[in-house]
Amino acid sequence: MSGLVLDGVSKSYGSVRAVVPTDLDFADGKLTALLGPSGCGKTTLLRMIAGLEDPSSGTLTLRGRDITDLPAHKRKFGMVFQSFALFPHLTVLGNVTYSLTISGVAKPEAESKARVLLDLVQLGAFADRRIGELSGGQRQRVAIARALAQEPEVFLLDEPMSALDAKLREDMQVELRLLQQRLGITTIVVTHDQREAMTMADRIVVMSAGRVEQVGTPQEIYHQPANAFVAGFIGKANFFDAVACSGGVRAGDVTFEAKARFHPGSRVQVAIRPERACLDHEATGNTISATVTFVRDLGPVREYHLDTPVGAMVVEYAMGEQAKTYNVGDSAQLRLPPEALLVFAVDQPHQTLMAAQ
Amino acid sequence: MRIAGHLFMGLSALVLALPIVVVSGAALNGGRSMFFPPQDPTLTRFGEFFVSEPIWTEALMNSIIVALGAATLAVLLAWPIAYLLWSQNSPLSRVLAGLGSLPFAVPPIVFGVGLGFYWGFLGGLGALWAGIVSHAVLLMALPLVTISIGLQSIDRAHLDAAATMGATEAVTFRTVVAPQTVPYTISGFFFVLVLSFNEFIVMFFVSASAYATVTLQIFNSLRNGYTPTMAVAAITFIVVSILVFSAVARWGDLPRLMGADQSRN
Amino acid sequence: MTLAQDIDLPRSKSGSARAPLVSRGAMLRWGLALLTFVLCVVPFMLVFAISFGRKIEGAAWGWDFTFENYQRFFVGAMWPDDVTFLYLQQLGYSFWYAVIASCLAVLTALPFTLLLTRLSRRAQAMWLVFILSSLSLSEVFIVMGWDILLSNNSGLPALFKSTGLTQWLKDVGWFQTLRDWGLANPRNVKFKTSDFATILTMSYLVWPYAVILLYPPLSRLDPSLREAARTMGAGNWQVIRTVILPSVRLPLFGTTLLLFVFLLGTYVAVTVFADPSKHTTAVAIYSNVRGANLNAPFGATQAVILLISASVCLVLGHKLNQWAEKRA
Repeated sequence: MSGLVLDGVSKSYGSVRAVVPTDLDFADGKLTALLGPSGCGKTTLLRMIAGLEDPSSGTLTLRGRDITDLPAHKRKFGMVFQSFALFPHLTVLGNVTYSLTISGVAKPEAESKARVLLDLVQLGAFADRRIGELSGGQRQRVAIARALAQEPEVFLLDEPMSALDAKLREDMQVELRLLQQRLGITTIVVTHDQREAMTMADRIVVMSAGRVEQVGTPQEIYHQPANAFVAGFIGKANFFDAVACSGGVRAGDVTFEAKARFHPGSRVQVAIRPERACLDHEATGNTISATVTFVRDLGPVREYHLDTPVGAMVVEYAMGEQAKTYNVGDSAQLRLPPEALLVFAVDQPHQTLMAAQ
Repeated sequence: MRIAGHLFMGLSALVLALPIVVVSGAALNGGRSMFFPPQDPTLTRFGEFFVSEPIWTEALMNSIIVALGAATLAVLLAWPIAYLLWSQNSPLSRVLAGLGSLPFAVPPIVFGVGLGFYWGFLGGLGALWAGIVSHAVLLMALPLVTISIGLQSIDRAHLDAAATMGATEAVTFRTVVAPQTVPYTISGFFFVLVLSFNEFIVMFFVSASAYATVTLQIFNSLRNGYTPTMAVAAITFIVVSILVFSAVARWGDLPRLMGADQSRN
Repeated sequence: MTLAQDIDLPRSKSGSARAPLVSRGAMLRWGLALLTFVLCVVPFMLVFAISFGRKIEGAAWGWDFTFENYQRFFVGAMWPDDVTFLYLQQLGYSFWYAVIASCLAVLTALPFTLLLTRLSRRAQAMWLVFILSSLSLSEVFIVMGWDILLSNNSGLPALFKSTGLTQWLKDVGWFQTLRDWGLANPRNVKFKTSDFATILTMSYLVWPYAVILLYPPLSRLDPSLREAARTMGAGNWQVIRTVILPSVRLPLFGTTLLLFVFLLGTYVAVTVFADPSKHTTAVAIYSNVRGANLNAPFGATQAVILLISASVCLVLGHKLNQWAEKRA
């Protein structure tokens, strides 16, 4: 029996649809990331799971038990809020023992449990500090310890890293992932940062404008994006418009061989990741002429910005990967390997790849 | 739980409105006594108040003059103090803000007594202009607070931007600070206006029976009991307040003016 | 050729003016300070000075430096032959009424304001207009209204009698309790001239102020604190008790204190609704300075004592505030 199941869950505010009816399955013990730009409905979805909002339709079940109508304080899913929401009138220990204290657990027992958790997040020495004395990173750890104190079935985090500075963010992503794996607790993280999702998640749910665009592992999402939105949101991609023809796509005068098959004549959008495109001297198959307009040497990678007949494109090379370097103003041939071309239908951006015939 | 909340708010509103309703109803009484529900309902009292009885028409004129004058003066006095406090926050500015709020923070009867002696020495006792100044000083704390709230909402980066484009402090004030705080100045003005209308204790000591405002007149007649004509004054004040505050709410952000948090709801 | 080369630098004037001794800014500041002092502080100083004065026959008084008035306030004019604590008692009643009324007002305004801050912005604006308008009702009108409502012949007592409520109270046996509390005559309930009516009216008087003072801090309560508590198993009452109330302790106390000080000066409500033997210092000041007694120096003394009591409370409150904020 799987853990948390959402069936047809949606949320509307008046005539505004924040979340369209959604079916999702959260596997036990895994970390799932709800990823998308702001306003896509991911936080609304999380809050419905927590019980802080009522769904407009649909049901939520936990291990077969319907919890749709269960109020938030009976669900006891541990939650870490974006601002951490630590109680300023209680000490660190007081915050962490809160859920235990109000459910009647005796003070010594509650405190010893809390101290174990604080050691787990490496804040053992901070138990008697007041919240105002803590740094952002420390507050986050207290919030995590506090949510876990009630031994919840599901652990929810709403943009947990957004209040931290960039360097700390990267460290905490790794730490949080390790903690989650160690505890084996079913976890859902809301984030708008795709690197964060790729770092931490077993599975990613990509959302946009209230609907789920794709569900998959980080690798699936990256290498096999279901539509143009996912391709553009995860990692970098070059896009150009084209028309499908037999054997590939045609953009203007140029024909590219591509793996995907569409009805000839239908409009498509083609994407290719910068690191899969190449610059060559000669025009072999699937090449177009290009002029270098800008070079970005970032250390581990070098980016070439190009002007081509199909539009502006970017090619990326890892250090040492390239035989010849190019400079601004050089002409070259841009080669787009057929197996690297991602082709999406234009008229229905939310449909997955369709094979013709 | 929600229903209990709504019930409670409704009940509070009812209790709050009760005396107001009673007084409004009593203004319609035909006779000289205050009965509720009104006996022989008639609108003659309104005529008496606004047109025919000189006691009341003069008192009304005095109330208006004092209120308008005091509100203007209070805003003019509060602005420099609020601005100084906001721009420098020096010990002097903090002391000034404290002193400016002092008359309002303590029981008004004490300030009234003091002002009575004060104007006696300065020669303003019984003069209308002294009444205006008295109310302005008494109520200065209100625009001080509202203007301070407004100043706090100004992004200091705006001041820096103006300076880098060549604006002196005076120009910055005129073109950046003042326009952004207009709603707070106005709300401060209206608060003083409304409270001055209703103030009678300080007015009692300062007017020394030489003139009367509406509330003072009622206060003086307390010994003889209330008459329905007085209730007309009550209705007038309520209606004026509702109009004034509705206007503020309509064209401004009333919750924000009262200090609510910006980012929610 | 860059833009920078086109800018003309002003040539420094030869013989620049000497800097003024006192800058214009400093002059304005001290001018403002003087004005504020003259307007806000001098009246209080006057009252203080006159409290040491001497009453002359008739309605006049003269400058002097005597402690007679203060002595009279604390132990009576005839001390040590005959001691009276009448004036201290009046101050006591001032405190008594003010404390109860302010606490009552704040306690009932708190849930109201909490609920208010949870409404939509538009609904909040409408309620605020209502509250602000009622705030603008002068004490004379409020007392007028409650006078009618509580009057024995045509107000609530009459309503009680006509709806049979009085009879029911007699049958149930609570009527006697009301009589013991001074809220009933043998025939019917009586609300006028009682502590109940006085405190009720005073509470009503400051209730809108309580809402307005509590509004900013309550509207700034972080909703995620409430939600966090709910995700940790706290039901509604627990959330109020363990999260909301501790966060508003300070504003609650501050508001109660401000309203208490304001109510110390209540005049009309006390005159109309309180038993003459329970009148307050404010009433006594009035009668001494401009009313029946016309003993200005003594009135000034009473005013000074009232002012000092009020100031002491304010200062204590401020210190408590600072101490609490350092702890947090």
